[in-house]
Amino acid sequence: MTFRIRTVDVTATGREIVRERELAQTGLSIGRSAENDVHLPDLAVEQRHVEVAPTPEGKLRLKAAGTLGFTLDGRATRDAVVDPAEGAELALGSYRLQFASEDGAALVTIRQAEEKEGGKGQALGGFSLGHVLPGKRPVAWAGLAAILLAFLAVPVWTHLNRAEAEPGADRHGDGAGAVMMDASWRTGALSSVHHGLEDQCESCHTEPFVAVRDETCLTCHEGITDHAAQPRQAVARGPMEPGDALQWEVAHALNKPGPGACTDCHTEHEGRGRMEPTRERFCADCHGSLDARLTDTALGNARDFGKAHPQFQAVLTTAREQTEPVRVSLAERPRQWNGLRFPHELHLNARGGVTQMARRLGTKGGYGDQLECNDCHRPTADGVRFLPVDMENDCESCHSLVIDQVGGVYRKVRHGDAEQARAELMALGRASRPPIVAGRGRPGEYGGLYRANFGGPATGRALLARAMAKEGLCGECHVPAGAAGSLEVMPVTQPSRFFMHGWFDHEEHKQEQCTSCHAADTSDASSDLLLPEIGQCRDCHQGESAREAEVPSGCAMCHSYHPREGAAAAPARIARK
Amino acid sequence: MATVPEGDFGFHEARRTADHESFLAHKRLRWLKVALVLSLAAILGYAFADVEPRPNGGTWYGYLLGTVGTLLIVWLALLGVRKRAMTAGRWSLKAWTSAHVYLGLTLIVIATLHTGFQLGWNVHTLAYALMLLVIASGVYGIAVYALLPAKLSTNRREMTKGQMVEALAAIDRQLEAAAQPLGRADADVVIGALEQDPFGHGLIARLTGRYRGCLTGRAIDALEGRAAADTAIERVTGLLGKRQAQLEQIRRHMRLKALLEVWLYVHVPLTVMLLAALTAHIVSVFYYW
Repeated sequence: MTFRIRTVDVTATGREIVRERELAQTGLSIGRSAENDVHLPDLAVEQRHVEVAPTPEGKLRLKAAGTLGFTLDGRATRDAVVDPAEGAELALGSYRLQFASEDGAALVTIRQAEEKEGGKGQALGGFSLGHVLPGKRPVAWAGLAAILLAFLAVPVWTHLNRAEAEPGADRHGDGAGAVMMDASWRTGALSSVHHGLEDQCESCHTEPFVAVRDETCLTCHEGITDHAAQPRQAVARGPMEPGDALQWEVAHALNKPGPGACTDCHTEHEGRGRMEPTRERFCADCHGSLDARLTDTALGNARDFGKAHPQFQAVLTTAREQTEPVRVSLAERPRQWNGLRFPHELHLNARGGVTQMARRLGTKGGYGDQLECNDCHRPTADGVRFLPVDMENDCESCHSLVIDQVGGVYRKVRHGDAEQARAELMALGRASRPPIVAGRGRPGEYGGLYRANFGGPATGRALLARAMAKEGLCGECHVPAGAAGSLEVMPVTQPSRFFMHGWFDHEEHKQEQCTSCHAADTSDASSDLLLPEIGQCRDCHQGESAREAEVPSGCAMCHSYHPREGAAAAPARIARK
Repeated sequence: MATVPEGDFGFHEARRTADHESFLAHKRLRWLKVALVLSLAAILGYAFADVEPRPNGGTWYGYLLGTVGTLLIVWLALLGVRKRAMTAGRWSLKAWTSAHVYLGLTLIVIATLHTGFQLGWNVHTLAYALMLLVIASGVYGIAVYALLPAKLSTNRREMTKGQMVEALAAIDRQLEAAAQPLGRADADVVIGALEQDPFGHGLIARLTGRYRGCLTGRAIDALEGRAAADTAIERVTGLLGKRQAQLEQIRRHMRLKALLEVWLYVHVPLTVMLLAALTAHIVSVFYYW
């Protein structure tokens, strides 16, 4: 086999000197010793380092002659076969021998390796991910700085340097006094009553590191009263449990107001919707065993509507001679005295005369097949309760006070004015015309279908004389107040609320029939107090934690902690939806 | 271990055994047990703590969990300092690492209960999210450290990284010589392949092992059709094939290494960012108290 040995040397100026010789022999020896076919003067090379021998397939077998191996194509080995047609590179010390085939001969090109450019270290660094990613430290520092700047420095700086704004001033967005980036501090959405304060954190959080104070709440919530007078309230509360005492100690150390601060009960940032109602237990802590500490209290103990709650107490007049209403427990089955004669049963009886009259008045008169509760009882605009029944609107279409017709005009006794009524009736007697009230008219005869028909001689005087009788013009519904002959009647009381401290909202109970709570259809006297007792409410309402109840009901559903007067005594109906 | 004093045989035997015990199984899973007890206590406390009006970070139990969580996070982050000083004994680095892993996992329970499951777009949830990412990257790290080193070793085939680079350089030199007879267009294709930096590809290529822009592959595609007709092209194609094979080994190595290293590029910077977000979280809560 022919080996063509080509040696390439590079002069100091960079010029290449190529020497070539051919050896026709069966093998090739490579080493440092001058006896070798290929002589490499490098101390890293052994005297006889590699033996090259052709194989029967025309390839070359490279074999380490001594103890050291060699590097072939970058890989350390001691024995390898190379195909000159394909080529290979043998590295020995600082020399590189390239094998190739040229004109049927095996060409061995020998070069001395140049100094490495770039250095190996840099190349090896390329294996690491750090080669393509920014370092961990710069990223960490940049992230740290960005977060601290955006979420801490900016809000704190703008809060400390904000312009003073009037309470209630709109400080949304970038308005004067707005704190920037503090939306990122928000722990949860505000309840719908405070929705307008969203993004105006500084309206409540006025001072850094100072918890929201009562004064801040009271700038808007004027006129909020205390629950009870001190020191009675403190006595009722009793001593704190050790756990609570510890909590308060920590809270005070951290500058939190209380106990008894607004924020103790009214927690915010609990999400949209209504503010979380105060939990039953908060009330039960004192009221559950109130009599034990407040021995002279008139209030019954209450801790759970389903299990421990006193019977309702209604405010009403129970007798004719009462001038002021009294508060009576429903357990005593009180009778109501309201100055009226009114049997509900008669009016609601499906087979009774009243039903017939309503049917004949028909839809034109606003009636259905039967007299319904809402034909007379009209809800207030907010639906919470009912307007007083009004004679002119609610009774008169049947209980007509028409006494005469002059041309196309009907004359009525004026309701509510005794002297005027007396005059009207007296005048009726003097007229030459026969009074129309002589007999029952036919439907459609007059403006109203029904008119006064009090039987007997139908003169005004006669009507007047019997007006106060049980079937008379006034006495049919009213209780006489004056002496005989007087048209004075007892004042009618129609309380709009019976419960002083509890709240009831008819609107919320619309899906129920009136009669499921008010037994009107079986009441034959106006002295029947048609209020449901607590047991009836408990059909649906049980304590806050009652799982089986249709409506688990905490104290706050009906009661307000802050006593208020009149209609406002409702637990604030905040943000129903 | 050749100079072990005779009398201390028991001690050194124990140490020898411990030397080959995984940090996960350290001291018969001592820290796993501690972590489980801590998590269980946190869950029970959450279930039975009497808080108004509902559980969140602002209740007494919420503050308690928050304090525990903060201390844990700070301590866990200190592993970065601690690992640079190796010591033996009870607080050996292995013990520390074992605790780091298990207590870190406990944080998922503690911090989630601390939130009371109230999350939003705010710095508080940012801190929580960063914490979860840090933990997730840590879990990933443990997983790849268990799975990938064996593969890395297989892929090496007894070559060092230096040899892999050297082998590629050797093939490149042969290619340079073999390509001398080629025409301009073909030579350009070879030059393109040779000049492409094997380490120049981006993160995605490294992690997936898919190198769409590999010019060596393109050069093979361009030349192999004519290889049968031209011995010079045949030789170049053969060498390009070798180059491709060598590149593949390097790339597999880079891929495994990237998969092994990438979690730290998340874990470490995000930990620092978490500490920042945690600071902002705590300060803001008390600032708007």
